[in-house]
Amino acid sequence: MGAAAGPIGCFVLWRRMAYLGESVAHMGLLGAGLGLLIGINVLVGTAALAIVAALVMARAGDRIIPAGTFVGIVGHMGLALGFILLATMETVRADLLGYLFGDVLALSASDVAVIAAASLGVLAVTALLWRPLLRAAVGGDIATAEGHGGRWVQAAFLVLVALLVAFGLKVVGALLIVALLIIPPAAARPFARTPEAMAVIAAAAGALAAPLGLAAAYATDAPAGPCIVLAAGAIFAASALGSQLGRIFAKFR
Amino acid sequence: MSEPLIAANQVSVYAGGTHILDRVSVAVHPREIVTLIGPNGSGKTTLLKAILGLMPAQGEIKRRPGLKIGYVPQQFDRDPSLPMAVAGFLALFAPACAAKAALARVGVAQVNNRQLGALSGGELARVLLARAIAGRPDLLVLDEPMAGVDVSGEAALYHLIAEIRDEFGCGVLLVSHDLHVVMAQADRVVCLNRHVCCEGDAHAVVRDPAFVALFGARAAGELALYAHHHDHAHAPSGETEPVRNG
Repeated sequence: MGAAAGPIGCFVLWRRMAYLGESVAHMGLLGAGLGLLIGINVLVGTAALAIVAALVMARAGDRIIPAGTFVGIVGHMGLALGFILLATMETVRADLLGYLFGDVLALSASDVAVIAAASLGVLAVTALLWRPLLRAAVGGDIATAEGHGGRWVQAAFLVLVALLVAFGLKVVGALLIVALLIIPPAAARPFARTPEAMAVIAAAAGALAAPLGLAAAYATDAPAGPCIVLAAGAIFAASALGSQLGRIFAKFR
Repeated sequence: MSEPLIAANQVSVYAGGTHILDRVSVAVHPREIVTLIGPNGSGKTTLLKAILGLMPAQGEIKRRPGLKIGYVPQQFDRDPSLPMAVAGFLALFAPACAAKAALARVGVAQVNNRQLGALSGGELARVLLARAIAGRPDLLVLDEPMAGVDVSGEAALYHLIAEIRDEFGCGVLLVSHDLHVVMAQADRVVCLNRHVCCEGDAHAVVRDPAFVALFGARAAGELALYAHHHDHAHAPSGETEPVRNG
Protein backbone atom coordinates (compact mmCIF):
# COMPACT_ATOMS: atom_id res chain seq x y z
CA MET A 1 0.00 0.00 0.00
CA GLY A 2 2.73 2.40 0.95
CA ALA A 3 4.72 1.41 -2.13
CA ALA A 4 1.76 1.97 -4.46
CA ALA A 5 1.01 5.36 -2.93
CA GLY A 6 4.50 6.62 -3.82
CA PRO A 7 4.34 6.64 -7.64
CA ILE A 8 0.69 7.72 -7.86
CA GLY A 9 1.47 10.36 -5.26
CA CYS A 10 4.16 11.71 -7.59
CA PHE A 11 1.48 12.50 -10.15
CA VAL A 12 -0.71 14.04 -7.47
CA LEU A 13 2.22 16.29 -6.59
CA TRP A 14 3.19 17.14 -10.18
CA ARG A 15 -0.38 17.99 -11.07
CA ARG A 16 -0.99 19.83 -7.79
CA MET A 17 -4.02 17.74 -7.01
CA ALA A 18 -3.53 17.11 -3.29
CA TYR A 19 -6.74 18.97 -2.56
CA LEU A 20 -8.72 16.78 -4.94
CA GLY A 21 -7.29 13.70 -3.22
CA GLU A 22 -8.35 15.10 0.13
CA SER A 23 -11.91 15.63 -1.04
CA VAL A 24 -12.04 12.20 -2.65
CA ALA A 25 -11.01 10.74 0.72
CA HIS A 26 -13.81 12.67 2.40
CA MET A 27 -16.29 11.28 -0.07
CA GLY A 28 -14.80 7.86 0.62
CA LEU A 29 -16.08 8.15 4.18
CA LEU A 30 -19.59 8.68 2.84
CA GLY A 31 -19.01 5.67 0.61
CA ALA A 32 -18.08 3.56 3.62
CA GLY A 33 -21.24 4.67 5.40
CA LEU A 34 -23.45 3.95 2.39
CA GLY A 35 -21.74 0.60 1.95
CA LEU A 36 -22.60 -0.38 5.50
CA LEU A 37 -26.13 0.98 5.12
CA ILE A 38 -27.04 -1.08 2.08
CA GLY A 39 -25.04 -4.04 3.26
CA ILE A 40 -22.28 -4.32 0.67
CA ASN A 41 -18.61 -4.65 1.45
CA VAL A 42 -17.34 -1.39 2.95
CA LEU A 43 -14.28 -1.41 0.70
CA VAL A 44 -16.44 -1.73 -2.40
CA GLY A 45 -18.73 1.09 -1.26
CA THR A 46 -15.79 3.33 -0.48
CA ALA A 47 -14.03 2.63 -3.75
CA ALA A 48 -17.19 3.09 -5.83
CA LEU A 49 -18.09 6.46 -4.33
CA ALA A 50 -14.49 7.64 -4.39
CA ILE A 51 -14.21 6.86 -8.11
CA VAL A 52 -17.48 8.63 -8.93
CA ALA A 53 -16.46 11.60 -6.78
CA ALA A 54 -13.04 11.86 -8.41
CA LEU A 55 -14.44 11.77 -11.93
CA VAL A 56 -17.16 14.31 -11.16
CA MET A 57 -14.99 16.69 -9.16
CA ALA A 58 -12.24 16.78 -11.76
CA ARG A 59 -14.72 18.43 -14.13
CA ALA A 60 -15.82 20.92 -11.52
CA GLY A 61 -15.74 24.66 -11.54
CA ASP A 62 -17.21 27.41 -13.64
CA ARG A 63 -16.38 31.04 -14.26
CA ILE A 64 -17.23 32.41 -10.82
CA ILE A 65 -16.71 29.49 -8.42
CA PRO A 66 -13.16 28.17 -8.72
CA ALA A 67 -12.75 24.42 -9.12
CA GLY A 68 -10.90 24.10 -5.80
CA THR A 69 -13.74 25.70 -3.88
CA PHE A 70 -16.31 23.48 -5.56
CA VAL A 71 -14.24 20.39 -4.85
CA GLY A 72 -13.90 21.48 -1.21
CA ILE A 73 -17.64 21.99 -0.86
CA VAL A 74 -18.52 18.59 -2.27
CA GLY A 75 -15.77 16.83 -0.31
CA HIS A 76 -16.74 18.34 3.02
CA MET A 77 -20.42 17.64 2.40
CA GLY A 78 -19.39 14.02 1.86
CA LEU A 79 -17.35 14.03 5.06
CA ALA A 80 -20.18 15.53 7.12
CA LEU A 81 -22.83 13.25 5.66
CA GLY A 82 -20.61 10.20 5.95
CA PHE A 83 -19.83 10.99 9.57
CA ILE A 84 -23.52 11.41 10.43
CA LEU A 85 -24.40 8.21 8.61
CA LEU A 86 -21.74 6.22 10.44
CA ALA A 87 -22.64 7.80 13.78
CA THR A 88 -26.27 6.73 13.46
CA MET A 89 -25.27 3.11 13.06
CA GLU A 90 -25.12 1.45 16.46
CA THR A 91 -22.61 -1.14 15.37
CA VAL A 92 -19.96 1.22 14.08
CA ARG A 93 -20.29 4.21 16.35
CA ALA A 94 -17.49 2.99 18.57
CA ASP A 95 -15.35 2.52 15.50
CA LEU A 96 -15.82 6.06 14.13
CA LEU A 97 -12.28 7.14 14.91
CA GLY A 98 -11.09 4.18 12.91
CA TYR A 99 -12.67 5.61 9.79
CA LEU A 100 -11.17 9.04 10.37
CA PHE A 101 -7.69 8.05 11.48
CA GLY A 102 -7.41 4.44 10.37
CA ASP A 103 -7.36 1.22 12.27
CA VAL A 104 -4.76 -1.10 10.79
CA LEU A 105 -4.90 -3.51 13.67
CA ALA A 106 -8.61 -4.15 13.19
CA LEU A 107 -8.12 -5.34 9.61
CA SER A 108 -8.98 -8.95 9.01
CA ALA A 109 -6.63 -11.21 7.10
CA SER A 110 -8.91 -11.07 4.07
CA ASP A 111 -9.01 -7.25 4.25
CA VAL A 112 -5.24 -7.19 4.22
CA ALA A 113 -5.16 -9.52 1.23
CA VAL A 114 -7.67 -7.38 -0.68
CA ILE A 115 -5.80 -4.16 0.10
CA ALA A 116 -2.48 -5.71 -0.88
CA ALA A 117 -3.92 -7.05 -4.13
CA ALA A 118 -5.53 -3.70 -4.97
CA SER A 119 -2.28 -1.87 -4.23
CA LEU A 120 -0.32 -4.21 -6.46
CA GLY A 121 -2.95 -3.71 -9.13
CA VAL A 122 -2.70 0.06 -8.90
CA LEU A 123 1.09 -0.19 -9.03
CA ALA A 124 0.98 -2.45 -12.10
CA VAL A 125 -1.47 -0.21 -13.97
CA THR A 126 0.62 2.84 -13.09
CA ALA A 127 3.71 1.16 -14.53
CA LEU A 128 1.78 0.10 -17.63
CA LEU A 129 0.34 3.56 -18.26
CA TRP A 130 3.52 5.36 -17.20
CA ARG A 131 4.23 7.14 -20.48
CA PRO A 132 0.70 8.39 -21.20
CA LEU A 133 0.25 9.39 -17.55
CA LEU A 134 3.51 11.32 -17.60
CA ARG A 135 2.69 12.88 -20.97
CA ALA A 136 -0.63 14.14 -19.61
CA ALA A 137 0.99 15.39 -16.40
CA VAL A 138 3.80 17.32 -18.05
CA GLY A 139 2.16 18.30 -21.32
CA GLY A 140 -1.35 19.16 -20.15
CA ASP A 141 -3.35 20.28 -23.17
CA ILE A 142 -0.60 19.24 -25.57
CA ALA A 143 -1.42 15.55 -25.22
CA THR A 144 -5.14 16.18 -25.78
CA ALA A 145 -4.61 18.54 -28.70
CA GLU A 146 -2.28 16.18 -30.53
CA GLY A 147 -4.51 13.17 -29.97
CA HIS A 148 -2.38 11.31 -27.44
CA GLY A 149 -5.52 10.33 -25.53
CA GLY A 150 -5.44 13.06 -22.91
CA ARG A 151 -8.98 12.52 -21.69
CA TRP A 152 -9.02 8.81 -21.02
CA VAL A 153 -5.61 9.02 -19.38
CA GLN A 154 -6.98 11.69 -17.07
CA ALA A 155 -9.92 9.42 -16.20
CA ALA A 156 -7.62 6.45 -15.60
CA PHE A 157 -5.42 8.55 -13.34
CA LEU A 158 -8.41 9.68 -11.28
CA VAL A 159 -9.63 6.09 -10.89
CA LEU A 160 -6.17 5.03 -9.67
CA VAL A 161 -6.10 7.87 -7.13
CA ALA A 162 -9.62 7.03 -5.97
CA LEU A 163 -8.82 3.33 -5.57
CA LEU A 164 -5.72 4.08 -3.57
CA VAL A 165 -7.57 6.56 -1.38
CA ALA A 166 -10.43 4.12 -0.82
CA PHE A 167 -8.18 1.27 0.21
CA GLY A 168 -5.92 3.50 2.24
CA LEU A 169 -8.93 4.74 4.16
CA LYS A 170 -8.99 1.55 6.19
CA VAL A 171 -5.29 1.86 6.97
CA VAL A 172 -4.69 5.49 7.90
CA GLY A 173 -8.21 6.95 7.73
CA ALA A 174 -10.04 9.57 5.70
CA LEU A 175 -8.28 12.50 7.31
CA LEU A 176 -4.74 11.22 6.84
CA ILE A 177 -4.69 9.22 3.60
CA VAL A 178 -3.56 12.13 1.42
CA ALA A 179 -0.46 12.39 3.60
CA LEU A 180 0.65 9.01 2.28
CA LEU A 181 0.11 10.29 -1.26
CA ILE A 182 2.15 13.48 -0.98
CA ILE A 183 4.82 12.92 1.68
CA PRO A 184 6.81 10.08 0.06
CA PRO A 185 7.11 11.88 -3.32
CA ALA A 186 8.07 15.09 -1.56
CA ALA A 187 10.76 13.16 0.32
CA ALA A 188 11.97 11.66 -2.95
CA ARG A 189 12.13 14.92 -4.91
CA PRO A 190 15.56 16.25 -3.80
CA PHE A 191 17.25 13.00 -4.80
CA ALA A 192 15.61 12.50 -8.18
CA ARG A 193 16.80 13.79 -11.56
CA THR A 194 14.15 11.91 -13.57
CA PRO A 195 10.45 11.25 -12.97
CA GLU A 196 11.14 7.50 -12.94
CA ALA A 197 13.73 7.84 -10.19
CA MET A 198 11.35 9.99 -8.18
CA ALA A 199 8.59 7.36 -8.44
CA VAL A 200 10.91 4.54 -7.38
CA ILE A 201 12.35 6.47 -4.42
CA ALA A 202 8.84 7.55 -3.41
CA ALA A 203 7.67 3.95 -3.54
CA ALA A 204 10.58 2.94 -1.32
CA ALA A 205 9.88 5.78 1.11
CA GLY A 206 6.21 4.81 1.27
CA ALA A 207 7.08 1.15 1.80
CA LEU A 208 9.51 2.12 4.56
CA ALA A 209 7.02 4.38 6.37
CA ALA A 210 4.53 1.56 7.05
CA PRO A 211 6.76 -0.83 9.06
CA LEU A 212 8.48 2.12 10.76
CA GLY A 213 5.14 3.54 11.84
CA LEU A 214 3.82 0.17 12.95
CA ALA A 215 6.94 -0.45 15.00
CA ALA A 216 6.59 2.94 16.63
CA ALA A 217 2.92 2.27 17.35
CA TYR A 218 3.77 -1.09 18.84
CA ALA A 219 6.50 0.40 21.02
CA THR A 220 4.47 3.34 22.29
CA ASP A 221 0.97 1.85 22.17
CA ALA A 222 -0.08 4.83 20.03
CA PRO A 223 -2.69 4.56 17.22
CA ALA A 224 -1.09 2.90 14.20
CA GLY A 225 -2.44 5.05 11.34
CA PRO A 226 -1.14 8.38 12.65
CA CYS A 227 2.16 6.68 13.52
CA ILE A 228 2.59 5.61 9.89
CA VAL A 229 1.93 9.17 8.74
CA LEU A 230 4.40 10.52 11.29
CA ALA A 231 6.97 8.01 10.11
CA ALA A 232 6.49 9.28 6.55
CA GLY A 233 6.91 12.81 7.87
CA ALA A 234 10.14 11.80 9.61
CA ILE A 235 11.44 10.34 6.34
CA PHE A 236 10.61 13.63 4.62
CA ALA A 237 12.41 15.61 7.31
CA ALA A 238 15.45 13.35 7.00
CA SER A 239 15.37 13.78 3.23
CA ALA A 240 15.13 17.56 3.44
CA LEU A 241 17.94 17.70 5.98
CA GLY A 242 20.04 15.28 3.96
CA SER A 243 19.70 17.26 0.75
CA GLN A 244 20.58 20.51 2.55
CA LEU A 245 23.66 18.93 4.12
CA GLY A 246 24.60 17.49 0.75
CA ARG A 247 24.43 20.95 -0.78
CA ILE A 248 26.59 22.43 1.98
CA PHE A 249 29.21 19.71 1.61
CA ALA A 250 29.21 20.16 -2.14
CA LYS A 251 30.11 23.82 -1.63
CA PHE A 252 33.14 22.97 0.48
CA ARG A 253 34.43 20.28 -1.80
CA MET B 1 -6.09 25.69 -53.77
CA SER B 2 -5.67 22.21 -52.28
CA GLU B 3 -7.87 20.78 -49.58
CA PRO B 4 -7.33 22.58 -46.24
CA LEU B 5 -5.52 20.80 -43.40
CA ILE B 6 -8.01 22.17 -40.99
CA ALA B 7 -11.04 24.39 -41.43
CA ALA B 8 -13.22 26.09 -38.87
CA ASN B 9 -16.58 27.04 -40.29
CA GLN B 10 -18.83 29.55 -38.50
CA VAL B 11 -17.41 28.66 -35.08
CA SER B 12 -18.98 30.38 -32.06
CA VAL B 13 -18.08 30.15 -28.39
CA TYR B 14 -20.27 31.57 -25.64
CA ALA B 15 -19.20 31.98 -22.05
CA GLY B 16 -20.66 34.00 -19.22
CA GLY B 17 -23.51 35.17 -21.43
CA THR B 18 -21.32 36.81 -24.06
CA HIS B 19 -19.84 35.79 -27.34
CA ILE B 20 -16.15 35.08 -27.12
CA LEU B 21 -16.21 34.06 -30.74
CA ASP B 22 -18.96 34.96 -33.16
CA ARG B 23 -19.22 32.84 -36.31
CA VAL B 24 -15.54 32.74 -37.09
CA SER B 25 -14.29 30.90 -40.13
CA VAL B 26 -10.65 30.21 -40.81
CA ALA B 27 -8.75 27.57 -42.76
CA VAL B 28 -5.13 26.52 -43.07
CA HIS B 29 -3.82 24.89 -46.22
CA PRO B 30 -0.63 22.86 -46.64
CA ARG B 31 2.54 25.00 -46.65
CA GLU B 32 0.62 28.07 -45.58
CA ILE B 33 1.37 30.31 -42.59
CA VAL B 34 -1.83 31.80 -41.22
CA THR B 35 -1.41 34.30 -38.42
CA LEU B 36 -4.18 35.32 -36.05
CA ILE B 37 -3.80 38.81 -34.68
CA GLY B 38 -6.06 40.88 -32.51
CA PRO B 39 -6.11 42.79 -29.23
CA ASN B 40 -6.23 41.15 -25.80
CA GLY B 41 -9.49 39.35 -25.24
CA SER B 42 -10.24 39.11 -28.93
CA GLY B 43 -10.58 35.33 -28.76
CA LYS B 44 -7.35 34.26 -30.46
CA THR B 45 -6.46 31.58 -27.93
CA THR B 46 -10.09 30.53 -27.63
CA LEU B 47 -10.25 29.99 -31.39
CA LEU B 48 -7.12 27.83 -31.32
CA LYS B 49 -8.48 25.78 -28.43
CA ALA B 50 -11.82 25.31 -30.17
CA ILE B 51 -10.05 24.21 -33.34
CA LEU B 52 -7.90 21.77 -31.37
CA GLY B 53 -10.94 20.33 -29.59
CA LEU B 54 -9.80 21.61 -26.18
CA MET B 55 -12.90 23.70 -25.73
CA PRO B 56 -16.54 23.08 -26.64
CA ALA B 57 -17.71 25.24 -29.52
CA GLN B 58 -20.62 25.56 -31.90
CA GLY B 59 -20.04 25.32 -35.60
CA GLU B 60 -18.09 22.98 -37.78
CA ILE B 61 -14.43 22.05 -37.46
CA LYS B 62 -13.10 19.84 -40.23
CA ARG B 63 -9.74 18.14 -40.06
CA ARG B 64 -8.11 16.34 -42.92
CA PRO B 65 -8.27 12.64 -41.98
CA GLY B 66 -5.13 11.47 -40.18
CA LEU B 67 -3.91 15.01 -39.64
CA LYS B 68 -0.86 15.16 -37.37
CA ILE B 69 -0.74 18.27 -35.20
CA GLY B 70 2.17 19.81 -33.34
CA TYR B 71 0.95 22.22 -30.66
CA VAL B 72 2.82 24.86 -28.70
CA PRO B 73 0.48 26.23 -26.00
CA GLN B 74 0.56 29.79 -24.76
CA GLN B 75 1.33 28.71 -21.23
CA PHE B 76 3.51 25.83 -20.24
CA ASP B 77 3.74 25.22 -16.51
CA ARG B 78 6.97 23.70 -15.35
CA ASP B 79 6.14 22.29 -11.95
CA PRO B 80 9.29 22.47 -9.83
CA SER B 81 8.31 19.21 -8.15
CA LEU B 82 8.75 17.35 -11.44
CA PRO B 83 12.38 16.43 -12.10
CA MET B 84 12.78 16.10 -15.86
CA ALA B 85 15.52 16.76 -18.36
CA VAL B 86 14.81 18.17 -21.82
CA ALA B 87 15.75 14.83 -23.40
CA GLY B 88 13.31 12.96 -21.18
CA PHE B 89 10.56 15.44 -21.96
CA LEU B 90 11.04 15.16 -25.70
CA ALA B 91 11.28 11.36 -25.50
CA LEU B 92 7.70 11.26 -24.24
CA PHE B 93 6.52 12.53 -27.60
CA ALA B 94 9.05 11.42 -30.22
CA PRO B 95 11.85 8.91 -30.81
CA ALA B 96 15.16 10.03 -29.32
CA CYS B 97 16.92 10.61 -32.66
CA ALA B 98 14.07 12.72 -34.05
CA ALA B 99 13.99 14.70 -30.80
CA LYS B 100 17.72 15.39 -30.94
CA ALA B 101 17.54 16.46 -34.56
CA ALA B 102 14.63 18.79 -33.80
CA LEU B 103 16.50 20.32 -30.90
CA ALA B 104 19.51 20.96 -33.12
CA ARG B 105 17.26 22.36 -35.85
CA VAL B 106 15.86 25.05 -33.56
CA GLY B 107 19.35 25.84 -32.35
CA VAL B 108 19.37 24.60 -28.75
CA ALA B 109 21.14 21.22 -29.03
CA GLN B 110 23.19 22.13 -25.96
CA VAL B 111 20.19 22.03 -23.57
CA ASN B 112 19.48 18.32 -24.18
CA ASN B 113 20.56 17.24 -20.70
CA ARG B 114 19.40 20.30 -18.78
CA GLN B 115 16.44 20.14 -16.42
CA LEU B 116 13.25 21.74 -17.77
CA GLY B 117 13.08 24.02 -14.75
CA ALA B 118 16.56 25.39 -15.45
CA LEU B 119 15.79 26.68 -18.96
CA SER B 120 15.45 30.36 -19.74
CA GLY B 121 12.23 31.60 -21.35
CA GLY B 122 13.85 31.74 -24.77
CA GLU B 123 15.30 28.25 -24.45
CA LEU B 124 11.97 26.88 -23.29
CA ALA B 125 10.19 28.46 -26.27
CA ARG B 126 12.64 26.71 -28.60
CA VAL B 127 12.40 23.40 -26.76
CA LEU B 128 8.61 23.52 -27.06
CA LEU B 129 8.93 24.28 -30.76
CA ALA B 130 11.38 21.38 -31.12
CA ARG B 131 8.91 19.09 -29.37
CA ALA B 132 6.15 20.15 -31.73
CA ILE B 133 8.20 19.56 -34.91
CA ALA B 134 9.90 16.35 -33.72
CA GLY B 135 6.77 14.34 -34.56
CA ARG B 136 6.81 15.68 -38.16
CA PRO B 137 3.37 17.29 -37.96
CA ASP B 138 1.24 18.26 -40.97
CA LEU B 139 0.08 21.31 -39.06
CA LEU B 140 1.92 23.40 -36.48
CA VAL B 141 -0.33 25.29 -34.07
CA LEU B 142 1.56 27.96 -32.16
CA ASP B 143 -0.12 30.09 -29.51
CA GLU B 144 2.10 33.09 -28.88
CA PRO B 145 5.26 31.01 -28.92
CA MET B 146 7.29 34.13 -28.17
CA ALA B 147 6.46 34.46 -24.48
CA GLY B 148 9.72 34.98 -22.64
CA VAL B 149 11.66 35.60 -25.83
CA ASP B 150 13.43 38.94 -26.18
CA VAL B 151 12.79 41.15 -29.18
CA SER B 152 15.82 40.13 -31.22
CA GLY B 153 15.06 36.48 -30.46
CA GLU B 154 11.50 36.94 -31.68
CA ALA B 155 12.46 37.88 -35.21
CA ALA B 156 14.86 34.95 -35.35
CA LEU B 157 12.18 32.59 -34.10
CA TYR B 158 9.63 33.76 -36.67
CA HIS B 159 12.22 33.35 -39.35
CA LEU B 160 12.84 29.84 -38.04
CA ILE B 161 9.13 29.03 -38.21
CA ALA B 162 9.07 30.07 -41.87
CA GLU B 163 12.15 27.92 -42.56
CA ILE B 164 10.56 24.96 -40.85
CA ARG B 165 7.49 25.39 -43.02
CA ASP B 166 9.69 25.31 -46.12
CA GLU B 167 11.60 22.24 -44.97
CA PHE B 168 8.74 20.18 -43.58
CA GLY B 169 6.02 21.39 -45.90
CA CYS B 170 3.62 21.77 -42.99
CA GLY B 171 0.90 24.36 -42.51
CA VAL B 172 1.25 26.81 -39.64
CA LEU B 173 -1.50 28.42 -37.58
CA LEU B 174 0.02 31.08 -35.38
CA VAL B 175 -1.26 33.52 -32.80
CA SER B 176 0.82 36.59 -32.18
CA HIS B 177 0.86 40.04 -30.71
CA ASP B 178 3.85 41.30 -32.57
CA LEU B 179 2.59 42.86 -35.76
CA HIS B 180 5.91 43.75 -37.34
CA VAL B 181 7.46 40.34 -37.41
CA VAL B 182 4.19 38.65 -38.22
CA MET B 183 3.77 40.77 -41.29
CA ALA B 184 7.19 39.79 -42.53
CA GLN B 185 6.55 36.04 -42.40
CA ALA B 186 2.85 35.35 -42.70
CA ASP B 187 1.21 34.34 -45.94
CA ARG B 188 -2.19 35.23 -44.67
CA VAL B 189 -3.26 37.31 -41.71
CA VAL B 190 -6.60 36.98 -39.97
CA CYS B 191 -7.47 39.93 -37.83
CA LEU B 192 -9.74 38.80 -35.02
CA ASN B 193 -11.87 40.70 -32.57
CA ARG B 194 -14.47 38.13 -31.57
CA HIS B 195 -15.41 38.09 -35.21
CA VAL B 196 -13.13 38.15 -38.23
CA CYS B 197 -12.47 41.83 -38.84
CA CYS B 198 -10.50 41.38 -41.96
CA GLU B 199 -8.24 38.83 -43.51
CA GLY B 200 -5.98 38.35 -46.43
CA ASP B 201 -2.48 38.93 -47.63
CA ALA B 202 -0.41 40.62 -44.92
CA HIS B 203 0.10 43.81 -46.88
CA ALA B 204 -3.54 44.06 -47.82
CA VAL B 205 -4.66 43.57 -44.22
CA VAL B 206 -2.54 46.46 -43.02
CA ARG B 207 -4.41 48.70 -45.41
CA ASP B 208 -7.78 47.38 -44.34
CA PRO B 209 -9.88 49.95 -42.48
CA ALA B 210 -10.88 47.37 -39.88
CA PHE B 211 -7.25 46.72 -39.09
CA VAL B 212 -6.57 50.41 -38.75
CA ALA B 213 -9.56 50.73 -36.42
CA LEU B 214 -8.32 47.91 -34.25
CA PHE B 215 -4.67 48.73 -33.97
CA GLY B 216 -4.72 52.45 -34.55
CA ALA B 217 -3.52 54.41 -37.52
CA ARG B 218 -0.05 54.70 -36.08
CA ALA B 219 0.61 50.97 -35.87
CA ALA B 220 -0.89 50.49 -39.28
CA GLY B 221 1.04 53.45 -40.59
CA GLU B 222 4.29 52.06 -39.28
CA LEU B 223 3.55 48.84 -41.03
CA ALA B 224 2.26 50.16 -44.29
CA LEU B 225 2.53 53.94 -44.18
CA TYR B 226 -1.01 53.89 -45.34
CA ALA B 227 -4.31 54.65 -43.67
CA HIS B 228 -7.78 55.60 -44.65
CA HIS B 229 -11.35 55.70 -43.38
CA HIS B 230 -13.20 52.66 -42.12
CA ASP B 231 -16.82 51.63 -42.06
CA HIS B 232 -17.16 50.42 -38.48
CA ALA B 233 -15.65 51.14 -35.12
CA HIS B 234 -15.23 48.91 -32.06
CA ALA B 235 -17.11 49.50 -28.84
CA PRO B 236 -15.28 48.43 -25.68
CA SER B 237 -17.43 45.29 -25.67
CA GLY B 238 -15.92 44.30 -28.97
CA GLU B 239 -19.17 44.77 -30.83
CA THR B 240 -18.97 46.69 -34.03
CA GLU B 241 -20.77 49.98 -34.44
CA PRO B 242 -21.10 52.24 -37.46
CA VAL B 243 -18.78 55.20 -37.57
CA ARG B 244 -20.59 58.43 -36.90
CA ASN B 245 -20.23 61.02 -39.58
CA GLY B 246 -18.42 64.19 -38.72
